Amino acid sequence: MSNSFWSNIFKKQNNEIQSIANLWQSTPLFNKIPARHIEFLSAKMHVRHFRPDEVIFRQGDQGAGAILVMQGSVRVMANKTELALLEAGDFFGEIALAERDIRTADAFSLGNSTLVYFLKQDLEEWIELEPRLGARFLMNLSSTLAQRLFQVNQLIADQ
Amino acid sequence: MPASVYIKTSSANFQTMKIFVLVIAVILGSFYLMSSVLIPVIISFTLYALFEPATLYLVRHNINHSVSILIVLLLLVIFGFIATAFAFPQLLDQVGLLQAKLPQILSQLEVFLTRYSSALSAKIGIDLDNSKIIISLLSQFSSLGQSLLLNISDKLLGFAIISLLVPFLTYYLLKDYKSVRNRLMNWLPNSSFELGWLIYHRVARQLQSYTRGVMIQSAVMASICIAGFTLIGMDIAVLLGCITGILNLLPYVGPIISMVLTLLVTSAMTPFDPSLLYLGVLVIMSAQIVDNVIVIPAVIAHAVNLHPVQVVLGIIIFGSVFGTLGVILAIPAIATAKIVYNNLYTDILNAHRKTP
Repeated sequence: MSNSFWSNIFKKQNNEIQSIANLWQSTPLFNKIPARHIEFLSAKMHVRHFRPDEVIFRQGDQGAGAILVMQGSVRVMANKTELALLEAGDFFGEIALAERDIRTADAFSLGNSTLVYFLKQDLEEWIELEPRLGARFLMNLSSTLAQRLFQVNQLIADQ
Repeated sequence: MPASVYIKTSSANFQTMKIFVLVIAVILGSFYLMSSVLIPVIISFTLYALFEPATLYLVRHNINHSVSILIVLLLLVIFGFIATAFAFPQLLDQVGLLQAKLPQILSQLEVFLTRYSSALSAKIGIDLDNSKIIISLLSQFSSLGQSLLLNISDKLLGFAIISLLVPFLTYYLLKDYKSVRNRLMNWLPNSSFELGWLIYHRVARQLQSYTRGVMIQSAVMASICIAGFTLIGMDIAVLLGCITGILNLLPYVGPIISMVLTLLVTSAMTPFDPSLLYLGVLVIMSAQIVDNVIVIPAVIAHAVNLHPVQVVLGIIIFGSVFGTLGVILAIPAIATAKIVYNNLYTDILNAHRKTP
């Protein structure tokens, strides 16, 4: 049952929220976060559709949050070198959840793709409501960032 | 600076200015369309900024969101009724007292003008006609009074509309604002989606902390002044304290106006006691010290990062264009414009740098 005038036009379908929640649940960011809270957050996330070769962000842009690939694939490049090819269920740009982030690479949509934006603003509002789970999420985020840093260090050491 | 960098910087500046002017035009257009309900909308957004943390506090303690809003609004209405029942009659009495004292205040003003204008005339060699200044002041006061009396029915109707609309709008803002905001922001194109959210986030954070800050600041100033004026035995302590609190919404200009007003009211007291003049100023200065040393660092520091010249010029320009409402909205409007411009410029400059 809709509770506001606009709901009929804009409201995310329950199955869409469920799919988003399922994808996030399998990521390390939401480790040990109860499913109903992931669903609550997923309902607040922003689904965007990109055309083939459409720019998602450019190097130097200001980032507002983490991005999850829901459908399609995303190419991440820096200085004309491909850094990663992301598929459904992968996420990127999570540094923006921790700090005011300047994007360090370019990201393009390969085909038609659907991305889910998890904005820092939504995270902060959720942390105000659920401080304990918020602390758990921030622990997950810091270990994810530490892992990424470790991988980059390994890469530099190998070169 | 190399020529190519200079060209990119000025081109980014020009493009930012074009988008910025468009944004300002859209905002002014929507303000014009909403002009009949602008005051209730602004009051409701102010109440939203003030009471959203209280609602979130209750939600955090496992109380349903709608119930939390109702509890907060109910407390607000009860507080409003108590304040109206206790303070309103006293304020009305004091307004009557101030009206009765107006002739005395004006005669004090005349004495002041006569004393200093003769000295000033002798120095600059121009003859200042005090009676003309007083007549002009009196005619302005009387026309203000007449217009107030003539418009009293309109004012009452306006007050009734505001009283009905504000709780209604505030309830729905507390309940649905975030979801409607999210849906509206989803209309942004992919290329501006993140930038739009970043600008919104920064503006909202600054406006919320500014609104909360100035409300707390005004309440503290009013309380200190009411207590101080009562202690020194002034006639219209509550009214003058409230006016000082409200005038404190205007930085730099407000405290000076409230100090002049206090001096005028004190000088019109019978029997005239010169020591009250100093004590009145001392009360306002003590309140200002508390404000600057405790309140501003604790609640408003960094809420708006504006240069004093920007603030004073903004108040004068907004006041002359939009009247009283413009004076109150000048600072948040300039702070918002600054954030929007800076963020747009950073993004556009980055795009220009990426193009060969």
